[in-house]
Amino acid sequence: MSGKSNTVNTVLGPVPAEELGVVSVHEALLSVAPGAEYAFDIRLDRAEIFETLAAKLKDFRAHGGGTIVDSTGMFHGRDVRLYETLSRTTGVHIVASTGQGPEEKLGGYFLTPQTNPPTPWPAEKFADLFTKEITEGMVVPRVERRGAAGLVATAATEEGMTATDESLFRGAARTALNTGVAVSIRYGNDAVHDLDVVLDEKLPADRVVVGGLDREDAVAAGAPLEVARRGAYVALDHVGVEDEAHITDAERVALVADLVRAGFGNRVLLSSNATGVAKGHPANDLPYSYVLTTFVPLLEAQGLKPEDTRRILVENPRDLLSAR
Amino acid sequence: MSRVNTVLGPIPTEELGLVAVHEHIGYGMPGSELDTKWWKTPEQRYEETVPKLRAFHEYGGGTFVDATGICNGRDVDYYKSLSAKTGVHIVACTGFVGGDTALWHFAKASVDYLTRQFVHEITVGIGDTGSLAGVIKVGVSRGGRMTDLDKRIYRAAARASLTTGVPILTHLAIDAENAIAIFNEEGLPLDRVLFGHVDDGVNADKTRDVWIAEQGGRIGFDTFGYETELPDPPFWARPRKERLDHFLRFIGEGRLKQALASADANCSPLGWPGVKGHTVNYIFEDLIPDLRAAGLDEAAIKTIFVDNPADFLTIQK
Repeated sequence: MSGKSNTVNTVLGPVPAEELGVVSVHEALLSVAPGAEYAFDIRLDRAEIFETLAAKLKDFRAHGGGTIVDSTGMFHGRDVRLYETLSRTTGVHIVASTGQGPEEKLGGYFLTPQTNPPTPWPAEKFADLFTKEITEGMVVPRVERRGAAGLVATAATEEGMTATDESLFRGAARTALNTGVAVSIRYGNDAVHDLDVVLDEKLPADRVVVGGLDREDAVAAGAPLEVARRGAYVALDHVGVEDEAHITDAERVALVADLVRAGFGNRVLLSSNATGVAKGHPANDLPYSYVLTTFVPLLEAQGLKPEDTRRILVENPRDLLSAR
Repeated sequence: MSRVNTVLGPIPTEELGLVAVHEHIGYGMPGSELDTKWWKTPEQRYEETVPKLRAFHEYGGGTFVDATGICNGRDVDYYKSLSAKTGVHIVACTGFVGGDTALWHFAKASVDYLTRQFVHEITVGIGDTGSLAGVIKVGVSRGGRMTDLDKRIYRAAARASLTTGVPILTHLAIDAENAIAIFNEEGLPLDRVLFGHVDDGVNADKTRDVWIAEQGGRIGFDTFGYETELPDPPFWARPRKERLDHFLRFIGEGRLKQALASADANCSPLGWPGVKGHTVNYIFEDLIPDLRAAGLDEAAIKTIFVDNPADFLTIQK
């Protein structure tokens, strides 16, 4: 249960925040595009999925990793029972998340309910759905509730936040206020605007992590610094990803240095958005250990002090994830 | 050889008997499985469902066509157990109730991908169940007009129907001009399509049932029993007499061979409260007595519930 100070909800129960170690806050374990589980050309072999994920978690641990946060929410392949077994087998703490989004990833139950007219769900109903995943347990659909979510994660539509996305964001913020668990947001086309929606719910900024701040468009708009100024956590969460949408690792190193120099070393988070196993969408096959093995040496070569590294990898995520 | 795919394997058309052509074991909008307010234990689901199917069998019902689409809680292993234990043939569908019930993976898919999904479920099997779909479900999203996704699904369904010989059953028959244009473009004979819910309380006024029939489509009066006289009617309910008169008027115009009827009831709803007291057995307990009282003879009743569904469901290969 949430509410106790200085513990974090993992799939195996609350864990003292000091025990998390190095945390990767934005990763995916089993990532299944909604609906892909029914596709004729997609197979979900649990034994094979387990073997792949276990190997990746063991590699993370072998390189000094302590905790993986599966930030894919409640409707993107989350498999609580599998994650419990993985955590027991590998010794890596696993934090699972509630939440869902953006709008296009929701089921029709939330968008065109069987009412006349079919009014999409408002924030309050999403808040109730997500809150119960923390206070009563995460749903294994139509079977049971298990464990407690340790984060509420949502996302906005790439072209810009829709009305239902806004309900999701406000619902996520209210969930955080209800339970003390932190919020993770992936913005649409305006990071600061989307952050302001959750802050408008009177959620303290230090309970929010904004993902995707290593996107080209966000960096060009100066969003990382602006998000940090508001007091929220800045996640450069595609470390190792080299594509048109994102800045390079060299640019990430410079951005981290800028943020630290500006006094926001206590607001930076690093992650790779790796997908352990992806079904129905392209995988990001980077190892969970990429930040530790490849990116940290780049940071330190550019002069980041070990205490700053530790702050970014251990203390910042610990403070974010500690239920208040 | 005439055959129809049921969840327990293909059967000869001659064995279908009386058919309830548009029904649901249990329907829920995609995502409703995340909301515990609707959850039922397996004990409860069987307890709510088995007596209804057993009564259907005892009344003389032969075949139950389940029109629950891919993301709506369709559960073929469960249907297999129900069929085996009650003796009712159950036909499962491939396809979607409407674009707004297709989850993201399918919502962004091409016509070609959707076609392959449907053909696979008809010729290879639904998931790992080994059961073949016997009908393709399509439909119009909420809002009254076909969306781009609805149209992709209709086109894929037409292609899958032509490839496999399995027919198409629609949720709603509004905006039929667009639907028929697609079927015509694909070269699908319209007697392979059952345009459903023409009697629905919300849409009956804007549904061109006679025009669709003139084009050659089959017409489904298949929400019988959703009546405004019920203690807690759903928003799509309609006065009992008005629906019956509509049906009698339609078949009275010499269109008996194109008419099918069903109750669209849920044995045990999955993501909504359902409508208390409304079951598939409305067909036996209310509808057939009403039709007899209106002067229909046994031959006409057999045409509606046995012969027409048999023609429709028989795989055209």
